[in-house]
Amino acid sequence: MQVKIFRWKAIGPLLLLLVLIGILVVIFAEPVARDTTEEVSTELLGTQVDVGRLDLLPRQASVDLGALQIADPFEPRRNLVEADRIVLKLNPEALAEKKLVVERFALQGMHFGTARKTPARPVSGDGFAPQALRAVRAWGEQFDVPILQLTPIDTIKSLVLDPTQLGTVQAAQRLLARTDSTRQALAQGFQAVDVRGTVDTARALADRLSKTDPKQLGLDGTRQAIESVRQTLKQVDAAKQQVQALERNVSGGVRLLSTGVSNLDEARKRDYAFARSLLKLPTFSSPDIGNAFFGKVSIDRFQQALYWAELARHYMPPGLLPRQDPGPKRLRASGATIRFPKEQSWPSFLLQVGQIDFTIADGLLKGAYAATVQGVTSAPALYGKPMVVSARRDAPGSVIAGLDVGAVVDHRTSAIRDSVSARLRGVQLPSFAIPGLPFRLAPGTGAANLTFALRGDQLLGRWSIGSKDVAWALDSAAGRGSDLERLVWRVISGIKQLDVSAQVSGSLKAPRLSVRSNLDDAIAQRLKAVVGEEVAKAEALARAKVDSLVSDKVEPVKQRIDAVQAEATKRVADEQGRLDQVEVDLQAQLKRLTSGLAPDIKLPKIKL
Amino acid sequence: MFALLKLIQSIIKTLHSDGTPGQVAAGIALGAALGLTPLVNVHNLLIFSLIVLLNVSFGGGILGWALFVPLGFLLDPLFHWIGESLLTAPSLRQLWTGWYNTPLVPYTNFNNTVVLGSVVGWLVLAVPIYFGAKVGVTRYRATIGERVRQSRFYKAVTASQAYNWYKLFRPS
Repeated sequence: MQVKIFRWKAIGPLLLLLVLIGILVVIFAEPVARDTTEEVSTELLGTQVDVGRLDLLPRQASVDLGALQIADPFEPRRNLVEADRIVLKLNPEALAEKKLVVERFALQGMHFGTARKTPARPVSGDGFAPQALRAVRAWGEQFDVPILQLTPIDTIKSLVLDPTQLGTVQAAQRLLARTDSTRQALAQGFQAVDVRGTVDTARALADRLSKTDPKQLGLDGTRQAIESVRQTLKQVDAAKQQVQALERNVSGGVRLLSTGVSNLDEARKRDYAFARSLLKLPTFSSPDIGNAFFGKVSIDRFQQALYWAELARHYMPPGLLPRQDPGPKRLRASGATIRFPKEQSWPSFLLQVGQIDFTIADGLLKGAYAATVQGVTSAPALYGKPMVVSARRDAPGSVIAGLDVGAVVDHRTSAIRDSVSARLRGVQLPSFAIPGLPFRLAPGTGAANLTFALRGDQLLGRWSIGSKDVAWALDSAAGRGSDLERLVWRVISGIKQLDVSAQVSGSLKAPRLSVRSNLDDAIAQRLKAVVGEEVAKAEALARAKVDSLVSDKVEPVKQRIDAVQAEATKRVADEQGRLDQVEVDLQAQLKRLTSGLAPDIKLPKIKL
Repeated sequence: MFALLKLIQSIIKTLHSDGTPGQVAAGIALGAALGLTPLVNVHNLLIFSLIVLLNVSFGGGILGWALFVPLGFLLDPLFHWIGESLLTAPSLRQLWTGWYNTPLVPYTNFNNTVVLGSVVGWLVLAVPIYFGAKVGVTRYRATIGERVRQSRFYKAVTASQAYNWYKLFRPS
């Protein structure tokens, strides 16, 4: 019997099934696409993204999005941006390759910094964006931002110091151990050189020869004696070289121990600062005051810039090598999805040109604005041009208020360069609390500038705000506050003009922050005038307390180091002296022996 | 419930009388692809179409799917490793780059490690599965098959009206 290969009668039901699948796709494509867009964008940006409406327009190869909200990853109750409508015109050829190439991007009804009805959900998980958010927060925490201490000074009475808390004590213990090991190493070095053995042998030879007459030794005997002297002189010379090497080791070891002693002094300074911090004394240092008042708010700004730069670096990698990303979420394992970029082909994602026109209806910033975004892509090397963002007010001639934003993200090659600058004039600056103090600052309407640049691992950021109409608020819940708080309040509450300038520089791993403001000197001078004498007394007490705890630990270490240095130096000098002496004796014997062989010939001194 | 009943009916009928052991084994081998690889992928639409269109046992396909789903979950780490090894092999990079930049091909998700690894795994296992299943079905029918056929459970299942739907895909 011939077995049929095809089951022709099943074609009908199969087609029916395919039609059914097609109908389901048509019905559910938009809700599924909307949910997927929300999910993927939230994962990519590390903050909640809501899409109110999504319409697929297949005939125009377009997507129409409505009521878009992107929450601020650093402030869940605020939207970073909100847009009434976004239309994306996609490239159908690229879409056939499963690539998202946005040819045109139009955005309408844009709002910034709007309040959210419900706080955004924190994005958790092991995705890149949540990790970057955590890393950037950790980056921000590494800055040592002081808090301006304005508690009453009579807390000095309760200063209790535990010696184990003091870095000097620990450093002294470590240095003592290092001193002992250096001493042992040097002793072993001296032992290894065995100067005594060499000197004794040479001395014995010199003594023996001094008692002999070269004429009685005969020619052979004299030759043998000369050879013995030469050999012994070589040994002496080798021993001298070893002693010289030992001398260098001694110098190195002593230098290292001297550095340790300097470190002890540095540790003691830190302990003074620690003891001072326990007393909660106010500082008179202007940079510290600037840092205490505006350090945290400055770091917040730089953190945000760094976060977006980190995302750009991850999603816009340089080069054309295959790139792995986590696979889609499903019941089965996600695996990894690998992209294979190819020259002269579409990148996986590209936003060629985005035109954003928005209007601010009222306030000082009212007017029409135009922004352009170009070259946002997952493969900058393929696109061949850097990503450029610019936004400015379309109101020529107006100097009262304005907005000027520019950003260049150049990831075409491994020499990655990211920079952003934003200048805002006549804007309502957000108010913020002064850390550790019951004061709140409302800068009012003013100007704000931010520039931020990343070149490889090096960063340089500047942030400044300026306002002539600041308002200060005292937190009534904090009660009357201390005398010093009232004093500072009297100083700052009379200040209406504010100029703050912060700079972050250095590498990403070891950034430096400096903050200056026009308040720093005013507060410092006032505090110094009122409590300077008391603070000086308290500082002296703190130093005395630290000294009393560390002196008996540090002094023995210093004495031990001096002893090791003196002993080692003396021993080197002694050994060198003994070797020099025995060498002179041997040379004398050599001269005597050679003159016996040929009394009339004056031989030159043998140099070995 | 209906689907489950239908599934049980088709499996039981498959093992007893519907189709030759070769047809059942071919169905199981094809159905194994549905179980071993992530289901919602283009290649599985093709596999399902083959199960329906080719004169293999549809019940065998369902049975293969059901049997190999747990195995698929279990072998995911292995599939990931296979897929990753293939996708990152320098000698194959040109091939993958070509496929990745060819219209429609990327929709197969071939560039996902688990998808590629599991498809390759299934291709390697398909022939052993076919022969193993063929021997298994033959021996089953020759040994305990008749006793199961006489059981009340078997009669109750095959008497259901839903079974009629299944007859449409019965191998001839």
